[in-house]
Amino acid sequence: MSASEIFQPFFVGIFGLAAIWFGVVVFRTSSMVRSALALLFSMTAIGAMFLAMEAEFLGVLQIMMMATEMAIMAIFMVMYMMDPGGMEGMDMTHQKYASIFAGILATLGILAVVFLVEWGPVAEAAHPEEQTRMLGIEIMERSMLIFETAGVTILTAMIAATAIAIERRKS
Amino acid sequence: MTTLMAALVVGAILFGIGLYGALSQTNLVMIMMGVELMLGAAMVNLVAFWRFLHPEIYAGQMFVLIVMTVMALEMAVGFAIATGRFRAKGSVEMEEAGDLRG
Amino acid sequence: MTAAISILALLAGAYLVAVLEGWVSMGRMSITGPLASGAAMLGRESFVPKRRDRVFFEVAPPLLLVSALLAAAVLPLSPGLIVADLATGALFVNAALAYVMVALLMAGWAPNGAYAMVGGFRFLGQLVAYSMLIVMPITAVAMRAESLVTTEVVESQAALPNAIYQPIGFVLFLLAGMAVCFLPPFDLPTAPGELAGGVEAEYTGWRLAVFRLARLVLVVTVAAAVSVFYLGGWLGPVFPPWAWSAAKTLAVAALMLLAGRHVPRLRETHVLEWGWKVGIPLALLNIFVVGVMILVVG
Repeated sequence: MSASEIFQPFFVGIFGLAAIWFGVVVFRTSSMVRSALALLFSMTAIGAMFLAMEAEFLGVLQIMMMATEMAIMAIFMVMYMMDPGGMEGMDMTHQKYASIFAGILATLGILAVVFLVEWGPVAEAAHPEEQTRMLGIEIMERSMLIFETAGVTILTAMIAATAIAIERRKS
Repeated sequence: MTTLMAALVVGAILFGIGLYGALSQTNLVMIMMGVELMLGAAMVNLVAFWRFLHPEIYAGQMFVLIVMTVMALEMAVGFAIATGRFRAKGSVEMEEAGDLRG
Repeated sequence: MTAAISILALLAGAYLVAVLEGWVSMGRMSITGPLASGAAMLGRESFVPKRRDRVFFEVAPPLLLVSALLAAAVLPLSPGLIVADLATGALFVNAALAYVMVALLMAGWAPNGAYAMVGGFRFLGQLVAYSMLIVMPITAVAMRAESLVTTEVVESQAALPNAIYQPIGFVLFLLAGMAVCFLPPFDLPTAPGELAGGVEAEYTGWRLAVFRLARLVLVVTVAAAVSVFYLGGWLGPVFPPWAWSAAKTLAVAALMLLAGRHVPRLRETHVLEWGWKVGIPLALLNIFVVGVMILVVG
């Protein structure tokens, strides 16, 4: 058993716990900026899990993208919430018990699958540099059409978002 | 196999938290945060499956890239709807959005 | 050992940048000036606003410092002197610099003060303008190096530095770098003379000292990134590699400090407008031109 085999579950577990903790904070705090930044740190912890699972490119990409995404989320929350600072302690939840039930049910269902399936042997991953190269080749060869589709979808979403959000002109 | 299990358990719990958030919050932006958390859980699972079951197939990593794109798109369109709604009604509380039923 | 040398080099660089900044803004050079003002800041009491967001208020200045240090960790000073030689180094620089904005947003939100919040949100607007201009020039650099590893990026410039090979990318990255470390004319978040210090307004004492130090380290880091990506890092004749790295980094830092001194501060709407209508098309053109040049010239 090599050192990486011992440390890998440890780091995956630690960052996983951090992701779960910040995920809980998202819905526990009443300050909206805190909530958005807790989601950011949850996502960053997920990125760190990717790094621990030797998916270096994806991990760094996740950490980079989420910083921008969640900061923009924070500004929208401040714009559109009644009480972004959470000073008044407004309750902004509904159907609480049903939601808790649904969440726990989903978790238990997935956990049952996780523990019932026989997962088979662990395979060795390639070196990070090799991985980045192979991912590039994958994108440029087999998955090129999918990647192009993603690009077109982004363009469509940009146009759609602008069309929805733009102020109606007075005719 | 323990690492794969650990990652999958984390994914399951994050998915549960995200589902709770998406169902229980009344504000559109908070609902979107729940959805983001669920997508994050999906990404954890995808990377774990890629790493521990099929590290030689890079379509697994490709799938994660697509999920990241979906997260960004969901934010963009969601905020556009929030902006439109806020302009029209002055709030993005989904309890008051019954008029969207048509 | 490597980490210790790198951090010492970074701190020395930060001190020199502080001297330079004092010279540029005050008009007279004072070697001990930063030391005196730093000691004065440490000696003062660190006031805290009454209804602040405790966690963010404490975390913001260290987070700014940490993000600058992390970005510096993947930049080589000389062939062997690099803290973490990541396979995705060029992307990691970008990821670490994204957290500069998170730190400033926290610092702006936490004190529960109007000036600070305006400063923090202005920086978010600025980020939307400059962030693409960091990613896209780095893409063109990585295309030429055929690698995201920073040491290989430096080695790819042995024949010709990227500043000459792709001048559009160089200028765009330099401007975006100035926007990252909120140097004039992009100093919207602090905006001296207009916002009473902006995000720094409510920070005093040792917290302000950490904040200022973090900003200086950030300037050095971004200058080092420009030198690694565009000026060939440690490559150069006669002198040892580390001397070239240090000289290029300091020269870029001095250029960044001097460049915007006599330009009026840009409004965030103008930064956004020029970033998206001029900057991004130019960055795309740069990627296209570099691609054609790689195919034709090699």
